[in-house]
Amino acid sequence: MNRGSFSAIASVAYKEFLHIYRDKRVLILLLVLPPVFTLVFGHAFEAGEMTNVPALLINRDGTPRAERFMTLILANKTFQWQTQPPSITGEDDLLGHGVQASLVIPQGWSESLSNGNPIPLRLYADGSDTNTADLLEGKVQKTLADFQLGERQAMIDTLPEEVFELSKKLPVQVRKQFVSMMEPWSVDRKVLYNPKTRFIDYVVPGVIGLILQLITVTLMASTLAREREAGTLYQLMVTSLRRREIVLGKILPYLGISIALIVFIILLTGWHFDVQFHDPGALALICFLFLLCSLGMGLLISAISRTQTQAIQFSVFFLLPVFVLSGAFAPLEQLPRAIRYVSELFPLTHFCRAFRLVNLYRAAPEFYAPDLIMLSAGVLITFVGAGYLLRRIEQ
Amino acid sequence: MTEPAIHLERLSKSYGEITAVDNLSLTIAPGTIFGFLGANGAGKTTTIRMLCGLARPTSGSATIGGADVWRERSVVRSKFGYVAQRFSLYPDLTVEENIRFFGGACRVPRSELPARTERLLVLTDLKAKRHAGAGDLSGGMRQLLALACALVHEPPLLFLDEPTSGLDPVHRQQMWNLLYDLSNRGITIFVTTHYMDEAERCTEVGFIERGRLLAKASPRALKESFQAKLLEIDVEPVMPALVRLRDTPGILGVSLRSGSLRLYAADPEKLLAEWRKKWPFPDIRFLGERWVEPDMEDVFTAYSQGYDAVLRPAKS
Repeated sequence: MNRGSFSAIASVAYKEFLHIYRDKRVLILLLVLPPVFTLVFGHAFEAGEMTNVPALLINRDGTPRAERFMTLILANKTFQWQTQPPSITGEDDLLGHGVQASLVIPQGWSESLSNGNPIPLRLYADGSDTNTADLLEGKVQKTLADFQLGERQAMIDTLPEEVFELSKKLPVQVRKQFVSMMEPWSVDRKVLYNPKTRFIDYVVPGVIGLILQLITVTLMASTLAREREAGTLYQLMVTSLRRREIVLGKILPYLGISIALIVFIILLTGWHFDVQFHDPGALALICFLFLLCSLGMGLLISAISRTQTQAIQFSVFFLLPVFVLSGAFAPLEQLPRAIRYVSELFPLTHFCRAFRLVNLYRAAPEFYAPDLIMLSAGVLITFVGAGYLLRRIEQ
Repeated sequence: MTEPAIHLERLSKSYGEITAVDNLSLTIAPGTIFGFLGANGAGKTTTIRMLCGLARPTSGSATIGGADVWRERSVVRSKFGYVAQRFSLYPDLTVEENIRFFGGACRVPRSELPARTERLLVLTDLKAKRHAGAGDLSGGMRQLLALACALVHEPPLLFLDEPTSGLDPVHRQQMWNLLYDLSNRGITIFVTTHYMDEAERCTEVGFIERGRLLAKASPRALKESFQAKLLEIDVEPVMPALVRLRDTPGILGVSLRSGSLRLYAADPEKLLAEWRKKWPFPDIRFLGERWVEPDMEDVFTAYSQGYDAVLRPAKS
């Protein structure tokens, strides 16, 4: 590439920069949305755990044992209990009561526990989103187990001496087994790769990727389509500009802006959410390839659209499945296998995976090399494809 | 003879079943102001777009300065400037930024760009508007700016696709004065128009109709190709007369000019002689007649309506 070519590309890049600079709406979009999105998404996914789920608590038993259980479950932060009198009806009308669960301690519960024929507590749980019901049941179950343990300890403490005398007659092996059976068994958990188990550390690449994908694809897709709509593309083509000079000149300002945005988001998440970034060189490479791939995608959309409106529509249709299926905010493993193959087609999938491998797993390059190769292939395919489509506009 | 500025050899362009340009052959000498006349949809814009390398000829070929307009389009593009029919500059850039951008895009050396921008601003009388947004300019100024952008790389040839359509007479005059200036400096100008009075301003005119070249000659030669004398009559009332004369045998067409009727007929003298004997329309009064020189509109009407009886081949 000679000097004339550089100068021609610089002319296009400067012109494109002026378009962005003069369009106040785009400028606001670029300056305001990324920090707002980062903060909102960051905080939205920060908690990760359900708290203050509104729920009804109805004690129809009224015994001291039921009262003790009440104290325990009322302390659970998952729920925000509304204690109701035993006379209340329609406890399964969760919507009517404006709650997501209701827990009933049935009449005679305490007695049934003492009689060796325990009746279960009744839990009505909102299953509409498929996660909540299981989660709430687990929480109640856990509290109940803790309660049972406490009750057992109280029972052991009050056992008459004769029982201990009797137990001494049992063989040692059986006695040991009993002790073991009476103790709660436990797991010693050692968390790897995200030791603080903060969801924000996991979701940061998703936030970066989402914002950049949104901005690069939609803005890039609009640029060529806008020139085509306004007729200026023909005016560009009758100059001695070559296609690759037009494309490069158009990409440069967006690339510059995107890199500035990445740096800005990384600084913001580092400062505000205290996210640590590991191996800046590898992360920079991953970001750069992802950006090129997104810009190429925008270019491709731009080349198949005749108007700006079409370009935006195509962008939305492309971006929607990307957001849902790319594993930006939830592990890909939740998706069925067949869908996961579709996910592999999206640059955001590879970006998030590679970013996490570097930043959370501290993995060696051979672990994320496949993702880098996929991103590079994406860059190649989108740019060659866009170049080919642009060639057809001429004819 | 010097090499022609533009040469078209049986150039054709079809879009599916529709033939937009049909076997067009044409040679334009350097320094000519060539007016390409035709109705909307006659094939003017398609021809220009093929010459600019924006559309691939279906068959035939065209050269600019000896280079093929399609195969060598990247070479050819430095040899001409193009002013499109639609305003196609950047409305959000200022006048000066537009000129400088196209200068950079056309590889004008950076050191020369400021002086050249200045010259073009003076030439197009846009100096006072240099910092105005191109989108805020009036229609006439936009066209002048488009012309400035097309001239930034100092091409020897200029294509203008209906540069004056929609302009007021003052700006039209200004545009044409500019074109004369450019022609005077040796620039070949290829301009399409459907204004007949503009055809008279060209040194050469080509008529195109349904993709075919009907005639190509100087305006004078074209007018001389009008074989018969042209009869103009005054009648009263004029509209019923126009309608009925149109259907009179021996009359090919009638056009209304400043209240008089111009008759296109193969033998108007015979008609007049007959009318002197007996005027066939008792309810219309015949007030008088005169012989007139055909103008460009008459010639174009005759060519485009196929009134072959009143025409003879034009001498190029």
